[in-house]
Amino acid sequence: MTVGGYRVRILRRATLPGWEAALFSVLALGVGLFLFGFVFLFAGASPMQAYQEIFRYAFFNANGIPLTMSRFIFLALSTYAFIVPFRAGEWNIGMTGQIYMGGLAAYAVVYAFGGKVSKDVPLNPALVLPLMVLAAALGGALMGGIAGYLKGRWDVNEIVVTMMLNFIAFWLVSHMIKDGGPFMNVGGRGEGFTLPTSLRAPTVLGMPFTILFVLVLAGALEFLFARTSLGYQIRAAGLSSKAARYAGMDTTRISLWVFLLGGGIAGLAAYHYFAAVPGVYKIPRNYGEFGDLAFFGIICGLIALGNPLATLPVALLFGGLSIGGRYAQGKLHLGFGVDYALMGVLMITLVAFQFFYRYRIVVEPLAPEPRPSGTPAPSDLASYGGE
Amino acid sequence: MTRRSKHTSFDPDAFWADIQPGEVLLSARGITKQYPGGVLANDRIDFEVRAQEVHAVLGENGAGKTTLMNILFGLIQPDQGAIYLRGQRVHFRSPQDAIRYGIGMVHQHRKLVPAHSVIENILLGHPRAQGILRLREAEEEVAALAETYGFRVDLRAKVWQLTEGEKQVVEILKALYRGAHILIMDEPTSALTPVETEKLLESIERMSEHKLGVVPFITHKLPVVLRISHRVTVLRSGRVAASLDTQDADEQRLAELMVGRPVLFDVQKPPAQEGEPVVQVEGVSARSDKGNLALDNVSFTVRSGQILGVAGVAGNGQHELAEVLAGLRGVEQGRILLNGQEITRAPVLARWQQGVGYTPAERTEVGSIGEFTLVENVAMNYFWDPDYNRHGVLDEAKLRELTEQILEEFRVAAPGPHVKAKTLSGGNLQKVIMGRVLSRRPRLLIANLPAQGLDIGATEFVQQKLLEARAEGAAVIFISEDLDEILMLSDVVAPMYEGRVVDLIPADQADKETIGAMIAGSYQQQEGTP
Amino acid sequence: MLPFILRSLEAAMIFTFAGLGELVNQRGGILNVGLEGIMLFGATLGFVAAQTTESYLVGFLVGVLVGGLLGLLHGVFSISLGVDQVVSGMGIWIFSFGMTTYIGSPFTGPLGMERLPTVLGISPFFYVAVLLAVGIWFVLTKTSLGLAIRSVGETPDVAEVSGIHVARLRYLCVVVGGMLAGFAGALYALYYNPVWNYNFLMGWGFISLALVFFSMWNPFLLFGGALLFGLLWQLSLNPELLLPGLFSRYIWRMVPFAVTVLVLVFISTDWFRARWGATRPQALGQPYHRE
Repeated sequence: MTVGGYRVRILRRATLPGWEAALFSVLALGVGLFLFGFVFLFAGASPMQAYQEIFRYAFFNANGIPLTMSRFIFLALSTYAFIVPFRAGEWNIGMTGQIYMGGLAAYAVVYAFGGKVSKDVPLNPALVLPLMVLAAALGGALMGGIAGYLKGRWDVNEIVVTMMLNFIAFWLVSHMIKDGGPFMNVGGRGEGFTLPTSLRAPTVLGMPFTILFVLVLAGALEFLFARTSLGYQIRAAGLSSKAARYAGMDTTRISLWVFLLGGGIAGLAAYHYFAAVPGVYKIPRNYGEFGDLAFFGIICGLIALGNPLATLPVALLFGGLSIGGRYAQGKLHLGFGVDYALMGVLMITLVAFQFFYRYRIVVEPLAPEPRPSGTPAPSDLASYGGE
Repeated sequence: MTRRSKHTSFDPDAFWADIQPGEVLLSARGITKQYPGGVLANDRIDFEVRAQEVHAVLGENGAGKTTLMNILFGLIQPDQGAIYLRGQRVHFRSPQDAIRYGIGMVHQHRKLVPAHSVIENILLGHPRAQGILRLREAEEEVAALAETYGFRVDLRAKVWQLTEGEKQVVEILKALYRGAHILIMDEPTSALTPVETEKLLESIERMSEHKLGVVPFITHKLPVVLRISHRVTVLRSGRVAASLDTQDADEQRLAELMVGRPVLFDVQKPPAQEGEPVVQVEGVSARSDKGNLALDNVSFTVRSGQILGVAGVAGNGQHELAEVLAGLRGVEQGRILLNGQEITRAPVLARWQQGVGYTPAERTEVGSIGEFTLVENVAMNYFWDPDYNRHGVLDEAKLRELTEQILEEFRVAAPGPHVKAKTLSGGNLQKVIMGRVLSRRPRLLIANLPAQGLDIGATEFVQQKLLEARAEGAAVIFISEDLDEILMLSDVVAPMYEGRVVDLIPADQADKETIGAMIAGSYQQQEGTP
Repeated sequence: MLPFILRSLEAAMIFTFAGLGELVNQRGGILNVGLEGIMLFGATLGFVAAQTTESYLVGFLVGVLVGGLLGLLHGVFSISLGVDQVVSGMGIWIFSFGMTTYIGSPFTGPLGMERLPTVLGISPFFYVAVLLAVGIWFVLTKTSLGLAIRSVGETPDVAEVSGIHVARLRYLCVVVGGMLAGFAGALYALYYNPVWNYNFLMGWGFISLALVFFSMWNPFLLFGGALLFGLLWQLSLNPELLLPGLFSRYIWRMVPFAVTVLVLVFISTDWFRARWGATRPQALGQPYHRE
C-alpha cells in the first residue's frame, strides 16, 4: 500500500520486547475506554461526565472505596485463577463454577458446625475460619482439577469442559439454597443462610483480610513463574507441549496442577465475596451475577499479559470501573449492565490490539522502480492488478 | 489487503501454441529480493529456460534457491526485476497467476491433502472443476495424461496411503493437468529410493521431449544434476555464481562453484573403539500416530563408541524408533535395555537422567521453544538437575554460564544467551540443541536427521560432533535419509523398510547399491549373504 | 408425551442451525469458540428488533445480519490480523455477553407477539434444518467449493499453491457460519424461549460447539447429536416425565451439561481417537500466513 511518496508495509514481528507489549496493553485500555464513550453518548450521557462519576465514586468516595477494594480483591483472585492455567497454555473460563463450589464448601463447614440455625450461634473463629478458607480453596481446586485432569490425560477441550462445569455448579448452588435445599435460609427465602456474626472475617486497615491473599499470591506467583522449576515447566508446556514432553516434563501433571492451583485461588475469591465482604455474608439470591463477574478475570489476565504483579493495578482499575460503572448507571439513569458492556468493549479492543503483538507497521519512502537489465522490454501482457 | 485481480482475457492454449525446439520459454531478469532484517536472498539473478531443456538450479541451503523458486511460482514478489514468458512480461501476484500462465511446481515437501483421494487432489483448484465435481470424467482425462508420460498411480487411493515416489507422480500429474509448460521441481530426488529415482529421471527425460521446460532445484545431489540436466545455473549467496552447459561441468567444479572454495568430500573418521553394549533393543514393536504398526520386531545392540546408522526413506519407522528410545512413544512388544537395565516403560525424564540424549528432527517444534531465550532452552535438559535446581528454584547464573559455554564451544552465531531461540537460523538452532544435549555427556545419543537442511559448513560441524561423541564412548544412533552420510559416519548400518530393520551390516561391508535396494524393499536375501 | 417430543425436536433444530454454522467454520479450519456470543447477539438483537417493529421477519433478518457481522469480525481478527483463534473467539463471546446484557435489559420479559405457525405440530424451520444438513453435506462432499473448503481446513498451504484463495474461502466460512449461528439465536429468542432474561441462552452455544466435536465434522451425525441433546434438554426441564420425584429440579438441569462433558471425554479417549480421530480437520485452529 502506498500513501503519498511512502510505502506502508505490515511486517511480522520476530520478537516483541516486554515494555512494548505492556505499552500495547495500556493503549488497548485507553482505546477501549474511548470507544465505550460512544455507549454513554448513545445513552444520552456525556462520556466525560460519566467517566468522572465513575472514577470519583470508585476511588475518591467514602462509600465507593470499600466497594472498590472488595471488588479489587475478588477480581485479582479471579485473574490469578485465570492466569495460572493460561501460562500453561490452557483456558480456565471455569472460575465461575470454581467460585460456586468454593462458596458451597465454605458454607458446608459452617453448616457442619451448626452455624445454619441462627446468625447468633457462637462459633470459635480461630477454628472455623481457617477451615472455611481451606474448604473454599479445596472446593474450587477440586472443580478446577476435573478440567485439568481431563485436559492433561485426554486433551479434552478445557474451554467447553469448564463452561459446562460452570452451569453444573450454578444449578448445584440453586439446589442447595433454593426450594428447601440444605443451605436455604431459615426464613424460607430462596437464598443461602446467613453467616453467624462470630465468623465475620477480621479486617486489615478497614479492608477484609483477604487482601492479604492477593498480596501474598502476587509475590508467590511471580516467584513461581520467574524462578522455580515448576514455573519454568508450566511456561514451557504453555509455549509448546511437544517440546515439554520431549524434555521429560509430565504435561498431564502440569495440566492438573495449574487447574488445581487456579481453581483453589478461585475458591479463595468465593470465600472473599460470600463470607468476608461486609454486607453480604451469605450466598445471595443473585449469586449468578457474582459468578459472572469472574469473567472480568479473563480480561485482566490478558491485559496483564499473564503477569501476577501487573495484575494488581489492572484488577484495581477494573474493580473501580465495575463499581463506578454500576454507580454511574444509577446516577445517570442508564440501563442495567453498563459494567458488563464495558467489559465487553474492553475485551474486544484488547483482542484487536493483539494484532500489534504479531505485526508492526513500517512506513518508508518509496524507491523508484529499477530497470531490469538485459533482454527486450516487451509489452506488458499480463499486468493485471495494477501497481 | 486483498487486491481484486482483473481477469484479462488470457488464453493459455493460444499463448503456448507452436513452441519451437530451443525457444526461450521463460526468462527472469535482474531478480532481487531483500528480506526484512537485510538479508539479500536474491541479488540480480538472470535465468532462462528453453523448450525441451532441463535446466538445473544448484545451490546450498541459504544460497537463494527457495526464494527464486517462490518468485517464479508467485508465492513472493521480487523487489526488483522481471519475469518474461515467451518474451512477454508477466506479473505473478500469487501462485494462481503462475499456474494460469503455465508454471507448474513439484514441491519437495509434497503439497497434497493427505486425507483426500488422488483425483480430488489433482482437481483441487482446477479452473474447470466448477460446481458439482465430475470425478469420473476427470479420472479418464488424467489417466490418459499419465499414459502419455508413462506414469502409474491409483487415482482413487487416498494420498496418505501412497509412497513418496507415488506422491511425486501425483504432483507432476496435477501440474500437467493444469496445463503446465514449465515444470519447477524442488529437490526432485530427495526422499526417493534409488529405484524410484531412476524412474523419475526417465520421466523427466520424456517430459522434456514433449517441449516442456523442466527446472529442477537441487542442493546436494551433483550426480543427478550431471545425469539429467542440459544446463545448470549455480547460485551462491544469492547471486548467480555460474551458468554453464552441463557437458562442460563435473562434480568437483560444481561443488567449488557452490561453496566458493575447494571441497573435501569426506569427514575424517578415526577407527572405532568399541566397548560394552549400551543399548539393547529386543523385538520391539510400536504403532504410529495413525495406529498402524510402525515398528515391527526390531532388534539391535549399540556399543559404547559405536555409531549405528539407521538408513531409510522417510516413513519407514525411523521416526518411531527414535521416539520409542526417547520414551515418547509406547512400546507394544519387546524390551529395551540401557546399560543392562530395562527401560522399556521408563518415563522420558528417567531416561534423560540415566544418560539418554535425543536430538529430534523437528527442531523448532520439539527440540526447542522459539519464545524461550537460549538460557531457557538450555534449561530444558537441566531443570531437574540437582546442580541447577536447588529445592525447586533454578540457578539462573549457573544456567547462563553453561549456555555461554555451549554457544562458544559450538560456535553459535547469536548475539548472546538471552536472545529468543526463534531468532536463530536453522543451523545455529541445531547447534544449540546438539550442544545442550551433548553437554549432558549422554551414554546413548539418538540423533534424528541431525544435518537435514543445514548448509555444508554446519553439516560438517554436526557430523564432527557426532564423531566426537563416539570418540568419548557414547553409543550413537544416527538416523538419516542420505546414504552417503550414513556410509561416511556409521560403524554399523541398519537399513529400515516398513518398520523392520532389514539387516545389520558392518560399515566396511556395506555398499550403496545393496542398502539402496534394502530401503526400497526390493532386496532379496540371497544365500550366503552376511 | 407428544408435546414433549415435539419440543425436543424444536430444541434440536436450534442446536442443528448453530452446530452447522460452527461445522462450516471448522471444516474451513477456523475454530470459533465465540459461538455462544454470536447466538446471544442474534437472540437479543433479533428479540429487540422483532418486538420494536412487531415483525418476525425483521427479527430474523437482524439475527442473521448480526451473526454474519460477528462472524466477519472473527474473520478479521483471526484471518487478517493473525490473532489467536481462541483469543478472538473468547473476545467475541465476552463482548457479546457484556453488550447483550446492557442492550437487552430494558426489554426484559416476554416477547408479547403471536406465536409463529407450526407445520405438523413443530416449527417449519425444523424441516429447513434437516434440508440444510443435507445441503451442507452435499456441498462439502460433492462440489468443487466443498473440496476447496475441506482442503483449506486440512492443509491451507496446499490449497494456496493449488490456486485456492485461502483467506477468501475462510471468510466465506466464518460469515456463513456466523449467519447460521445468529439465526439459531434469533430462533431461540423468537420461537423457542421468547422471554428475554439475563444470560437467557444458558450455554446453548457451548453445547452446540461441543456437538461439532462429537459429530466428527459430519452434518448427519451433528443432526443426530442435536436430536439427542434436544431430548436431554427437554428432559432436564420436565424430569417428572421420566422419573417423577427423583432429585430436585435443579439437579436435573445439570444433566445436559454433565452429559456434554462425558461425551467429550469419551470422544477424547485414546480408544476413540485411534478409530475415528482422523476426521478432525488437520489445520483447525491454526493460523495461516502466506509464505
